[in-house]
Amino acid sequence: MSATAVTALVALGFAIVLVRHRSLAIALVGAQALLLGIEALSIDSGDGGGMAVAGVILVVRAAVLPALLFLARRHSREPALVAPATTIVTRLVIAAAAVAIAVAALPPLGLGDRAAEHGAVALLCLGIATVVTRRPAILQIIGAVVAENGVYLLAVAVPGGLPSVIELGVLIDLALVVTVSVAFSRKIHEEVGSSDVDLLRGLRD
Amino acid sequence: MTEALIIATLAVPLGAALLVTAAPSARAADRLSVGAALVTAALALVLAVLAIADAPGAAARGSWFVLDPAAGVFLALVAVVGLASALLSPTYLRHAGRGWIGARRSHVFYYAAFDVFWAVLLALPLVDNLGLAWILVEASTATSALLVAYSGKRAALEAGWKYVVLTTLGLAIALFGIVVLFVAVGPGAGGLARLDWSALSAAAPGLPRQTTLIAFVLIIVGLATKVGWAPVHNWLPDAHSEAPPPISAMLSAALLPTVLLIAWRTELALGPGLSGGAVRQLFLGFGLLSLAIAIPFLWRPQPWKRLLAYSSLEHMGILALGIGFGTPLAIAGVVVHVVGHGIAKSLGFYTAIPLLRQNPGASRLPARGLARTSAPTALAAAVSLVSLAGLPPSPLFVSEVMVLLGGMEAGLLIVAAIAAVLLALGFLGLAHAVIEALLGGRRRGGSGVSPRSARAVGLLAGAAAVALVAVTVAAYQLPGSSLVEALMRGAA
Repeated sequence: MSATAVTALVALGFAIVLVRHRSLAIALVGAQALLLGIEALSIDSGDGGGMAVAGVILVVRAAVLPALLFLARRHSREPALVAPATTIVTRLVIAAAAVAIAVAALPPLGLGDRAAEHGAVALLCLGIATVVTRRPAILQIIGAVVAENGVYLLAVAVPGGLPSVIELGVLIDLALVVTVSVAFSRKIHEEVGSSDVDLLRGLRD
Repeated sequence: MTEALIIATLAVPLGAALLVTAAPSARAADRLSVGAALVTAALALVLAVLAIADAPGAAARGSWFVLDPAAGVFLALVAVVGLASALLSPTYLRHAGRGWIGARRSHVFYYAAFDVFWAVLLALPLVDNLGLAWILVEASTATSALLVAYSGKRAALEAGWKYVVLTTLGLAIALFGIVVLFVAVGPGAGGLARLDWSALSAAAPGLPRQTTLIAFVLIIVGLATKVGWAPVHNWLPDAHSEAPPPISAMLSAALLPTVLLIAWRTELALGPGLSGGAVRQLFLGFGLLSLAIAIPFLWRPQPWKRLLAYSSLEHMGILALGIGFGTPLAIAGVVVHVVGHGIAKSLGFYTAIPLLRQNPGASRLPARGLARTSAPTALAAAVSLVSLAGLPPSPLFVSEVMVLLGGMEAGLLIVAAIAAVLLALGFLGLAHAVIEALLGGRRRGGSGVSPRSARAVGLLAGAAAVALVAVTVAAYQLPGSSLVEALMRGAA
């Protein structure tokens, strides 16, 4: 996988951590999936079965899941943007530190493509950072999708690819989890009048 | 024949999940679910008996399944807990109110999600491939999260949300590890079969140590979020305390152990190639930390279901220690503990049905004076908590002794000693909780009349007490048996 594509994927991941508008974050995660899907298709270009699987994955990750998220956003309109739990600088520092430490500590994983290995672990960290630092439910779902995109980047770079059963199984699971999370986000909005999950914090010991 | 039986065992609950959507009434949905549960449990128990009876021989396996003694033990547990939850669900639903999606279809929604969740749990011990196991574990998140938030109340939504987000992130880490492992195994074995338990065992000694270790740590740390091991357990107390009681029982007594089985199978397959030390330390670390974090919460006055949730954290810690010690005696202890904990913990959660019906305030306050308000509820609470505390003749007493002796046998005296102290503290906390729950000052707000659900739970308590004593008796026969020998071999 080209270093430029990996850099673009990681840059999109950073942008998702930083943006405030949910619609922009959905567009960014969709773009990330689109770029990943195009890379997967180009790698599988000689293999009809592999291309079909990569095509299905591209459609679901880059079109179906963002559409679901846009729908959830439409059903949970906010009168004003949810106040972020942390400033943009704090989020940037947390995300950059997590990525820098993980990338520096990562020994070779045997893929033979260091850029993909670094990109995958960076996206995993950025996904976790998004979940930890963002309060709107949809942004937390997007964080989980970014983390899964990191795993998919690693899978795409595996010589010969992962078995189709695993790739499609993971895709079905991701679609299920996003659908369930979207249902949660709508119900949370209905219950507390906002998609800010911090407003739910009632369970304490 | 075996494959047909396995397919039937999984097809019945999945078919019931589809059929229930066409149920004309809540009563019809109840009946369909109970009928399907009886058939499912019978089929699963036949499979379990076949697996355990064949312990000295080689495991039966097909293109995607393995029926070894470990699968038999966990399958039996999931079958029994699932059946009990299915039988008690109509009792719970009768007074559960509207639920998340409104009164009319709430039974249908509950049973459809329940049956799919149960089918996934039944498939997990049987699946012969790490990649397929991951897919099933992740699928269990989607179905069970909906059930956790079934009531639609704010606290249940919070619990369900936390559960789905944290476990999804954890499982992403585990999947990352599986991809790394797939690369490490190399192209030799070909395709999906590279992740079969037997293929991993065979390949383990020749795998690059560093890459395999990274993969192993990522897989176990990721699965730990789902098993509920500290420090990645934050969702567990909330989800277990806010879910409907029959679902809490499924989560604690069936889901956590079956995901633990996947971690255990991974350890059995890859451990020998990693020469033990790091593998052992990871499990022992999770075990000790889970015990240490659970104990203070067992000492505090807690609402009934939250107390049981923290007890789950403690017991998953004991199982991690047993796997980490890894001696035949410790593994015998793990098996006894899984079964004993499953019976006692599920009974504890079922007790919450009459308890919360009599006193809805018990969802936020510790249970008090049950002996004065309802004899059957008090009996069930006593059997459950006394067993979970590890008071003889509870099988958990025997299993904890086995695990600790196994630790000494492994030469890990300090770890075993720390674990013994933590277990003693946990025992004191639960012993105090059981005295308070049965004889403590009665809280205002209780009806003082035993509902019908109390009689059902009382009967279940009698059956559970007999089963627990039977497990204790069986536990004495276990060390040195062919079953433990087969469990030590794993699914290779």
